[in-house]
Amino acid sequence: MNKTLLGYVPKESPIYEVHPFVKLFFLLVVSLFPLFVAAPEWNFGLLVFLLLLMFLCRIDMRTLRIYVPVAISMGSIILLSYTVLGGRHAEFQVVANVFGFPIYWERLRDALVVYFRILPMIATMVFFLSTSRERDVIVAMRSIKMPFVVTYVFAMALRSAGMVLEDFHIVRQAEQARGFDTTGKSLAYKIRKYVMYMIPLFALSLRRAEEFTNALVARGYSFTGKAAKIKRADYVLTHYSYKIHDYILILLITAAFGVLLYLSLGLGFFELDKSQFIQWLHQILS
Amino acid sequence: MNSGTPFIKVINLSYAYPDGTLALSDINLEVFEGEFIALIGQNGSGKTTLSKCLNGLLKPTKGDIWVEGLNSKNTPIVQMVNRVGYVFQNPDHQLFNNNCWDEIAYGPRNILLPEEEVAIRVKEAASVVGLAEEYFESHPFFLSKGLRQRVAIASILALRPKVIIVDEPTTGQDARQSYEIMDFLTMLNREHGHTIIIITHDMPIVARYARRVIAMANGKILADGETAEIFKQVPVLEKASLEPPQITQFAQRLQNYGFDPGTLTVEQAVEQFQQIRAKVISSE
Amino acid sequence: MEPIIQIVNYSWKYPDSENPALNGVNLQIMPGEFVGIIGPNGAGKTTLALSMNGLIPGQYHGIKQGEVFVLGKEVEEYPKGELQMHVGMVFSDPEAQFTAMTVEDELVFGLENLGLSRNDIKERLEWVVQLTDLQRLLNKPPYEISGGQKQRVALAAVLAMKPQVMVLDEPTSMLDPLSRKRIFQVLRQLRETQQHTIIMIEHSLENLTPLTDRMILLSEGNVVLHADTRSFFQDPTLVERGVYPSEVIQYFHQIKKRGWYEDEIPITLDEAIEVQEKLLASLKVFNDRKGL
Repeated sequence: MNKTLLGYVPKESPIYEVHPFVKLFFLLVVSLFPLFVAAPEWNFGLLVFLLLLMFLCRIDMRTLRIYVPVAISMGSIILLSYTVLGGRHAEFQVVANVFGFPIYWERLRDALVVYFRILPMIATMVFFLSTSRERDVIVAMRSIKMPFVVTYVFAMALRSAGMVLEDFHIVRQAEQARGFDTTGKSLAYKIRKYVMYMIPLFALSLRRAEEFTNALVARGYSFTGKAAKIKRADYVLTHYSYKIHDYILILLITAAFGVLLYLSLGLGFFELDKSQFIQWLHQILS
Repeated sequence: MNSGTPFIKVINLSYAYPDGTLALSDINLEVFEGEFIALIGQNGSGKTTLSKCLNGLLKPTKGDIWVEGLNSKNTPIVQMVNRVGYVFQNPDHQLFNNNCWDEIAYGPRNILLPEEEVAIRVKEAASVVGLAEEYFESHPFFLSKGLRQRVAIASILALRPKVIIVDEPTTGQDARQSYEIMDFLTMLNREHGHTIIIITHDMPIVARYARRVIAMANGKILADGETAEIFKQVPVLEKASLEPPQITQFAQRLQNYGFDPGTLTVEQAVEQFQQIRAKVISSE
Repeated sequence: MEPIIQIVNYSWKYPDSENPALNGVNLQIMPGEFVGIIGPNGAGKTTLALSMNGLIPGQYHGIKQGEVFVLGKEVEEYPKGELQMHVGMVFSDPEAQFTAMTVEDELVFGLENLGLSRNDIKERLEWVVQLTDLQRLLNKPPYEISGGQKQRVALAAVLAMKPQVMVLDEPTSMLDPLSRKRIFQVLRQLRETQQHTIIMIEHSLENLTPLTDRMILLSEGNVVLHADTRSFFQDPTLVERGVYPSEVIQYFHQIKKRGWYEDEIPITLDEAIEVQEKLLASLKVFNDRKGL
């Protein structure tokens, strides 16, 4: 099992054969797809496709269970803000009345469109993070020639996050060892008390920051000046080479995007008035 | 060696991490009041996990831990911490109040003692660790490392636990500081009756201060007994990837000349040489 | 031969303290030497170490007096980033100095900073990995390796840059005995090839003593004692000064004080055993002679 940024993927997974750049490319391009698609059923199809991909890459599907409550609460918030909290619009068609709030068809429709656009975008992000180790993300960024400082700051952020998490566990135990007990207490109480944790974590990070910077400087890293202009060998890239399937995948993704653009902007294929689902729903509610 | 009921009784304890790896297996152990124990072993041997089970931070996956008649599995942490205290290695992991008074008062307040009692405890703990009253209003963050450590220890003492577990008291300290902290723990043990358990791999310190040694490796207890006896068992120590202190090795390699293989300190070795020398000279 | 590091009347005072951390230090270190710097916490050892690779005054505010010459040039005259190529430093906290997300990236970081080509990097990497036995850990992230392993990586990362001087600031203080021994093993190998000048701050005198050519005792910002290792440990006032040499050395000082031993104090365990055996044998001989 290899630990990725968001979960675990077994060593035999096919995703490791893919160059990290392809994964990044996939993330950047496919997450744009929903922007050109209004019809919810197509976006839902994209979501299903992504879930299938995750399954094929042997991501542990149980880790995805965490996202279900997130998806539900997000959906509820969107629905609420578009409908009940959406204000009054005399020009819209009312399909229901909830506690005195009119529910407009147009608003309901828009909420659905937005929701089904966001879901696959998040899924693409989850897919990327679940199949990438820290090194993959860094390699992907370097292969698109992002400035070294950016990739390095990202890497340091990851490293720091890891250290802060470890500290967090110890701090939590240290507080418990002095009788701090949150069992049976309210959420508000817990939130108030968790602020406590910030202080030792902050203090620890501050003290560590000094040695961290010293270590960087001691290894010859200059934040400015002549040293910053040195051409870096990017040795880590030697472990990754583009293979035939990487080129094919890049081609496929680009082609899919091209076709999508044509269908969407050229033919208006994904417009709302062509959406079967929207028309069917409208019929039921009217 | 020890009579009466043990203060802590560990029966068939096993502990597994959430991902399944076994950190402790089948630990059986008794701790009596007034003992001074060193828990030794390499990193990953389970000594820290065992200690955290003893004070209720971790609950056993199998087996039981009885502390003064309470079972750690169904006793809330609030009732455990005033029986078994745990001082973490880095004081920065626990200091977060705005001033030292509140920091030391944190524990007693958590166990819901009335304010007058809290005040008594804070003053008492501060005086035991030698923390001057002028520091009560100071913010712990700005104190020196030595003072922060004292505040951390005081904050545990304020709970008046009978057993105090100290994680790596001498790591990162120079020789004089190490002796100071160990003398302090000895004072707590002799004058205030606390049971002290130190987690360490500093063998000369163990030799000089601990009366009982528990050696661990791979989640099991390899040996448990009087310090000198344990240090004589070199193969056992090897299994735990540890060595006896240099002076003990010295005496062990000179056993045939009359040195005691259980020699623990330089002073003891000197005494022995005196005796050997006297014997040689007087044998006419 | 020119000293590789020369410190002349050097004082350094941090802004928030009343007393200077280092007060008029004079020191010379010759190329190829293995020097041990010992002393109580707060004596100024870390300050001294940071002064030798330019982190002081480069990264720290404070008042400097006197001069620090490395390879003949004053520390402040080196352009940014250059001195660190000549003087490598290993710090005491295994966590804070591991800045990358895999062991290999950590080892390669310094080499990339030097501007080396991929082939050169590959060569250095192979060499240093073999020396420090890190082959199996190359792809592991920091949260999957122990503190001891991280320190080995730190040592390897600095070695890979092939600095002429290596400064080690208590690299084993946070490690368990086994990990500590492994670090000292690598250092022993380095000492034998004698390509580097090594300056090591340590509390574990037992491990340090067999390796060093010279010992320097720092106390309250001053160099209080310095001599070649063997002479250093002949001094009977060490314990009073807050230095606790390894136990066998303490033992021999004690029996010498009592008049039972007159010769040189042995400085390692093996030497001590030999000396003690000879001493006991000579007692018998003395006794036998008395009997005649």
